[in-house]
Amino acid sequence: MIQNLPWLFLVLPLLVAALDWVFFSKCPKTAATLSILSAAATFGLCIAYLAGLQTGLSDVYVWMPTNTDALDLHLGLVMDPLAMRMMLVVTGIGLLVHIFSIGYMKGDGSNLSRYFAGLSIFMFSMSTIVLADNLAMTFIGWEMVGFSSYLLIGHWFHKASAAEAAKKAFITNRVGDFGFLLGILLTLGVFGTLTFSEMGNVSGAVAPTLLTVMVICLFCGAIGKSAQFPLHVWLPDAMEGPTPVSALIHAATMVAAGVYMMVRLQVSMGTEIFTETACLVITTVGAITAVMAAIIATQQDDIKRVLAYSTLSQLGYMVMAVGLLAGEAAMFHLYTHAWFKALLFLGAGAIIVCCHHEQDIWKMGGLVRRMPLTVLCFLMGTFALIAVPGFSGFFSKEAILDAAIVDHPVFFWIGAGVAAITTFYMTRLCLVAFLGKARAHGAEHAHEAGATMVLPLLALAAMAIISGYGFVADYLVPAEGFTAPGFHFGCTFYVSLGALVLGLVAAIVVYGWGKRERDPLAGNFIATALRNRLYIDAFYDKVLIGGLQNCGARIIEFIDSALIRGLLVQGTAWLVGRVGILLSWLQCGSLRAYACITGLGLLLIIVIIAL
Amino acid sequence: MMQDISTYCSATYTWGQFAPAFILVGLAAALIMADTFIKTLPKRAYSLIAAIGALLVACYVYDGEHANAFGVLACLGTGLSILLAYDYTKICCASIAGGTGDEGTGEFYALPLVACAGILCLTQARDLIMVFVSLEVVTLTSYVLAGYFRRNQGSVEAGIKYLVLGAMSTGIIVFGAAWYFGMSGTFLLDASVTIDTLRGGSVGCGTVALGFLMSVALLFVGAFFKVGAAPMHIWIPDVYQGAPTPTTTFLAVASKTAGFALLCALVSPFRPLAVPGIPVADMLITAFAIVAAATLLIGNLGALFQSNAKRLLGYSSIGQAGFILVFFVYLGGRFETFSAMYMLAYTLATAAAFFAVAMVRTQRGSEEISAFRGLGQTNPRTAFLITVSFASLAGVPLTFGFIVKMYSFIALVAAMQSWSCLIWLLPVMIVCATAGFYYYFKIIRAMYWEKPQADDKPLCVPFCTGLVLTLCAITLIIMGTWPLIRAMQ
Repeated sequence: MIQNLPWLFLVLPLLVAALDWVFFSKCPKTAATLSILSAAATFGLCIAYLAGLQTGLSDVYVWMPTNTDALDLHLGLVMDPLAMRMMLVVTGIGLLVHIFSIGYMKGDGSNLSRYFAGLSIFMFSMSTIVLADNLAMTFIGWEMVGFSSYLLIGHWFHKASAAEAAKKAFITNRVGDFGFLLGILLTLGVFGTLTFSEMGNVSGAVAPTLLTVMVICLFCGAIGKSAQFPLHVWLPDAMEGPTPVSALIHAATMVAAGVYMMVRLQVSMGTEIFTETACLVITTVGAITAVMAAIIATQQDDIKRVLAYSTLSQLGYMVMAVGLLAGEAAMFHLYTHAWFKALLFLGAGAIIVCCHHEQDIWKMGGLVRRMPLTVLCFLMGTFALIAVPGFSGFFSKEAILDAAIVDHPVFFWIGAGVAAITTFYMTRLCLVAFLGKARAHGAEHAHEAGATMVLPLLALAAMAIISGYGFVADYLVPAEGFTAPGFHFGCTFYVSLGALVLGLVAAIVVYGWGKRERDPLAGNFIATALRNRLYIDAFYDKVLIGGLQNCGARIIEFIDSALIRGLLVQGTAWLVGRVGILLSWLQCGSLRAYACITGLGLLLIIVIIAL
Repeated sequence: MMQDISTYCSATYTWGQFAPAFILVGLAAALIMADTFIKTLPKRAYSLIAAIGALLVACYVYDGEHANAFGVLACLGTGLSILLAYDYTKICCASIAGGTGDEGTGEFYALPLVACAGILCLTQARDLIMVFVSLEVVTLTSYVLAGYFRRNQGSVEAGIKYLVLGAMSTGIIVFGAAWYFGMSGTFLLDASVTIDTLRGGSVGCGTVALGFLMSVALLFVGAFFKVGAAPMHIWIPDVYQGAPTPTTTFLAVASKTAGFALLCALVSPFRPLAVPGIPVADMLITAFAIVAAATLLIGNLGALFQSNAKRLLGYSSIGQAGFILVFFVYLGGRFETFSAMYMLAYTLATAAAFFAVAMVRTQRGSEEISAFRGLGQTNPRTAFLITVSFASLAGVPLTFGFIVKMYSFIALVAAMQSWSCLIWLLPVMIVCATAGFYYYFKIIRAMYWEKPQADDKPLCVPFCTGLVLTLCAITLIIMGTWPLIRAMQ
């Protein structure tokens, strides 16, 4: 019994979600309490396991037995340091977000039970991904997080943009998941198993091309879930959801699942499976995402969208690290990023609430005087993000740049450049929103947020500062036997310091000390392109959805009308209709006919059996 | 020379085996006496007592010394159908006494117990005499129940049709039993008897084997009639539609259980013969496969165009019986276990569906599918529970219905390892499983995609209906999601 304690990670949130949905949909307070208790319990359990609680191996369930062992659908848990420390990030941030949500959603007219049920079902799904001991189970969790993300983005579904964004996120992820599913099937073909712990040995010689295809297919899943180019379009739109949801799902945990999955595969398959071509593809995709998202972020006015693009850009860093076969660095950055990005989002949430749901930074201003504590926390997150030496983000970014510097100098310089742009747009955000005087009514009446919102911020701020140092990181970074790099003064250090200074100076020169009323860079065609997200979304809408789909639709329509409708459907319908008429003729209601049919049936069966 | 009858039957029974049946008969007798002599007690109370009695006996059968799955299913089905009668009192009174008075409704609640006792005896039967007697207890009671709403023309028609066709099937069974006795010299249903007689019996003559097969065919036809397998299904749509809804539930759930218990008793003596190359096995399997395919096709295709919910469920019961018959196609397998498991999934979902139909009939006055319109808006929770039961009938993953339907496919695939020619049954099953999605979802569509009409009030869910719908839905989901086999790492 005791060895099955880890199943609580999955069962508890799922149960709570069901209870919230079914029984407490009219009592939001009970629902919220239950959800928070479940998050706290899983967090406590996680800490207990990290502190050395040993319960033995948990049971593995065969969910869908088939005749062959390899094809059985197992449900099993893996409890190695990688999974458990990742669980700490998930449950820790999850708990803080749950608590923050109380303050954030206060006075909101929507059904809060639905909201907390969604959060709980997300915790269940995310735990499934993290703890899954085989790819099939990962895929189940993968789809479940997609589903819960759909529910939560669309929480305010009466708003058309939220409903659209939820749909967009779900459908875009479908594209990636299709590749992921192919990758899983290829994995089954190559290794003969989907269980991570049994993937160690390749059966016989496998063509490198096949391995490349397999890895890239699996990476497709990560492209969709971690919003990498070209499937990144859903993440900025996902900001239509409530801000705590953005913090938990679209910044800290779910979008990092792609990175986690890739690292999990590298650990279990061995890095030699990741062929050079595959690695190059992964690194390039990461680099493109990092650069593109950072540039677009410089011209966003919505505080949440700036953060969303910075998330994209940071995910690009992590994916780059995966491609450089530096899984430890990727997980290190994932871990620090989770804390400081959750902090930034929750801080933004507090600011948005206190400015009466104003999200445009040009309508804020002077917030440092009205809500100093929140702004201070937000600044801690910003320093971590722009990699000020000594803050957590600095160490993890160093680790990634270090991984690139020797063999892939191109990616090193791309990383450094992105760091400079990151500093630029984050400084712009802080200068415009916090300094100067209030530019709109909402910001004038801003005030410090309540305790349920400030306390999570303080906790996260502490983590944003200290989580990069060895005395925390060595125990908490999701990687086996991790040791924090600490300070070392080399080429990387000076380059990133240079990038930091460059970004800071540029931002202060352009945006001044909070005196500007509007963006001095706006108006030219580059800025317009950036504001329109480099027309990628429009391209998808017009060309892919409009053009290709309509063109394809015409061909398919021809096949449909001529072959399928004409021959198959109408043919089948005609046939079924005839059968139906025959049956209704049989079913005429006449007792004598019934007896006659029964008698004929009797004869038939006697003939078959006895003769 | 006359011999003692016991040497012919030679199956020995103990009183303990029939204790649950006696309890039920005793309870029924007590209720009928009370119905006659105690005037003050409202008749509705009898239904509660009878239902609780049946469900308690289900627990007793489940736990007792002579535990068997079909007995539990029969008690469960009977209990649920009597509970349904409790919520259906208004219509019962109108259709029996012709007004709001409850005169004459008491027996309607007590009689299913007698039938259930018959099924319990049937599950214990190991010779044809016991089979026949217990089967008569079930069917005679069912005739009365089917025609019980004497002011309702449909009910009377259903009663007559069921009586005539049922009598015919009983006749076939008796005829088969006579042949059986004539060829084998015993009524005992046993593998050794079967093998002996197929070798030509004591005289070693091939004609004896032929006559024996003839008797077996007759007996099977009797059982096919009870489970509603094609072409002996013909009575089902009319009787199900016409009979009072509680009785329809009883027929669809408990009476079908009796049929499958009978079929198991008849088929199990042939299990040792299920080896490729033995002609008897080939013939039996061919016969089962043809009957299963015909049942699947008729049940599922016939259901496609139905607009009456009760008639739809009638066709659905035929279609589901087809999936259960596939277990018998795998003659060497554990068809008792799997058909009982399928019956459990079917019982829970079908009973819940009939509760829903009865509730809609009582409050909206119609049994048409269109009467379910807009329940998703007026009664979202009830609509969800109903959705679960219909989804389980259709075999949506994560419901119990999916698991058992999958087992049906697995049984066919297992059978195909020895009889590869059975592969033609696979597309039939796939088509029929797909067709199921179409017609079961007609109800779900009516609930969610159709707007409620202006004067549609939210349905008031009676207590028993709410309880049964909830419990059935929870069980269906739990059984559908619970990991099936636990393997220690």
